[in-house]
Amino acid sequence: MKTKPLIIAVGLLLIIVFGLLSWRIFYLQYYCADLYMDKSYGGTHAHICEQPQRGRVLDSRGRVLAASNKVLTVFIDPGQLPHWDDVMETACQLQPILEIPAPKICDIVHAKRHLSYVPIKTGITEHQRRAIRESPLAGVGIESKWERYTPMERLTSHIVGFVGGDDDPNSADKVGLAGIERRYDSLLRGVRGENVLVVDARRYPIGSDPQQTVKVKNGSSLVLTIDGTIQEFARSALMKQYADYQAAAAAAIVMNPWNGAILAMVSLPDYNPSEFSKADPDTMRNRALTDPFEPGSIFKPIVAAIALDGGFVGYDEQIYCENGNYAKYRIGEWAGHRFGNLTPKEILTYSSNIGMAKIGRKMGPKHLYEGLRMFGFGARTGIDLPAENPGLLKPTADWSSYTVTRIPYGHEISVTAIQIIRAFAILANGGSPVTPHLVRAVIDEQGVVKQVAKKSNLAGQLIKPQVAHWIVRQALANVVKEGTGQQAALEKWQVFGKTGTANIAVNGRYDTTNYTASFVGGAPAENPAVVVLVSIRKPNKALGKGYSGGRVAAPVFREIMQNTLTYIEKNRL
Amino acid sequence: MSRSRLIFVVFHLTIVLIGAVHLRVSASRVFYRWRRAQVVQDNLKLQLGDKQLKLEHLLNPSVISERIEKEPDPGK
Repeated sequence: MKTKPLIIAVGLLLIIVFGLLSWRIFYLQYYCADLYMDKSYGGTHAHICEQPQRGRVLDSRGRVLAASNKVLTVFIDPGQLPHWDDVMETACQLQPILEIPAPKICDIVHAKRHLSYVPIKTGITEHQRRAIRESPLAGVGIESKWERYTPMERLTSHIVGFVGGDDDPNSADKVGLAGIERRYDSLLRGVRGENVLVVDARRYPIGSDPQQTVKVKNGSSLVLTIDGTIQEFARSALMKQYADYQAAAAAAIVMNPWNGAILAMVSLPDYNPSEFSKADPDTMRNRALTDPFEPGSIFKPIVAAIALDGGFVGYDEQIYCENGNYAKYRIGEWAGHRFGNLTPKEILTYSSNIGMAKIGRKMGPKHLYEGLRMFGFGARTGIDLPAENPGLLKPTADWSSYTVTRIPYGHEISVTAIQIIRAFAILANGGSPVTPHLVRAVIDEQGVVKQVAKKSNLAGQLIKPQVAHWIVRQALANVVKEGTGQQAALEKWQVFGKTGTANIAVNGRYDTTNYTASFVGGAPAENPAVVVLVSIRKPNKALGKGYSGGRVAAPVFREIMQNTLTYIEKNRL
Repeated sequence: MSRSRLIFVVFHLTIVLIGAVHLRVSASRVFYRWRRAQVVQDNLKLQLGDKQLKLEHLLNPSVISERIEKEPDPGK
């Protein structure tokens, strides 16, 4: 029989074939399972990454200071258009939709042919988007990206700050790089989401995979204590003087003395946060926090309050002011004044350096240093903005024999504007410490208020209320009535405050041509609603218009105070 | 099993299968429409946000101050 070997041969062949097939099945199922599972999964599922919408930053009245919105960009993928004719055809189809000449589109594509993403136009309208979607355009895509807007632009540039690209080049997320955007980046940022959709053969979504889907979580929004209107009052008043006096820089702060809420904070020169990459880095500093300066006479009320509180000097004590020449300590009076005996109130009213030097000597280094530390000098105030400078208050071990006579009138110490206004807020509220802050409330994406700043965060006493009231209602009110701050007076409200004209130290010596002109105060003296600081650095003395705090800074203070109190009063009604 | 009974069973089985497929297709279609509606809603929200930002830009205190300064004083 010849058929038997044939059957055996065919049988063996079949066994081998089936054996090979079985091995192949085993190989595919065991060794290549993950690969084909992924391929199969990729064919039936689509992953869509969702970038979270960054939270909004609002002012205290709900005006938008910063918000994100999507911007649509039309792009061409040259890889999908292998022939130049295809590019030209696509460009001709895009021309009427985008209103860009076809040759220009061809030029853009030609310049970046080697890339797979060539942006043609950013910021297309909804109408244009729909027209592109409905046209059978090859190689054309639309990308959407969150863009950050700051409608108030320069007005709040130093407070809100700006966002920029993440350090990681693969990340599409933007991070806060300055101001509130940086300080509260983790809250504003949100969490990226991923939608996993089941798709049909045409890649149309027909279901979702809830187990794999990660819901996008938009960032929380912040309501600031800043009021855009008060901010504008402060900026416009300061800007006028800054330009008129050709000053090098200027800063103004408006604060609620009862809880430390900042109502306005201006730093000049400023920049447009929408174009921060083009801005001069020097304009991007919030000088109210970053630039310490020798405060000069605006420091006197603080030292006087510490001395009165500690009983080192009496309210009616007569202090001999050496007729304008304290030779032993090489101290003179401002503008060559010659004073005899003065009470602490008169020392502040007429801004006597010698009177303050003698108060400093009565206190001694230890008590003076401890009092100033208690007021927070030489340390950050804790305001919720980055890059705050602690200023400089040297330890007593580094003091010379002159230091105890210099610090009381604001020399040999560096402070920031925010430290000074905080100290004045403490005097204005009766001696309780406050923490300057900018965030009033945090609101999550559902609109639920998560954190709210307290209306008043007064706790404890740094100095006795009667001392603080005396300084504000008696001494500093008198500075405005009869003393150096008369230009700050208002008809309707009793203003209190102190002028300061401090020399700027250059290479260890005081420059006699450059000054910092300041005024700090508040109103109404009986129950202060706000405290305001104005500091103008290097007003041009050569203009012959004056350079003192009373001349340069006090009128700005008056304008800000007048507008702010009128605004607050009208909004209360 | 009689022929008529067999036909009855096969008929019902077919109806159930067709019904199941129809429900499945309907579910997919509804999901697709829901997803489209969601995208349209998101787009509308974005357009609204865009308009709000434009409005904020026109109404913010600094722009109003600028406009007041530019307007001629009616008293003069």
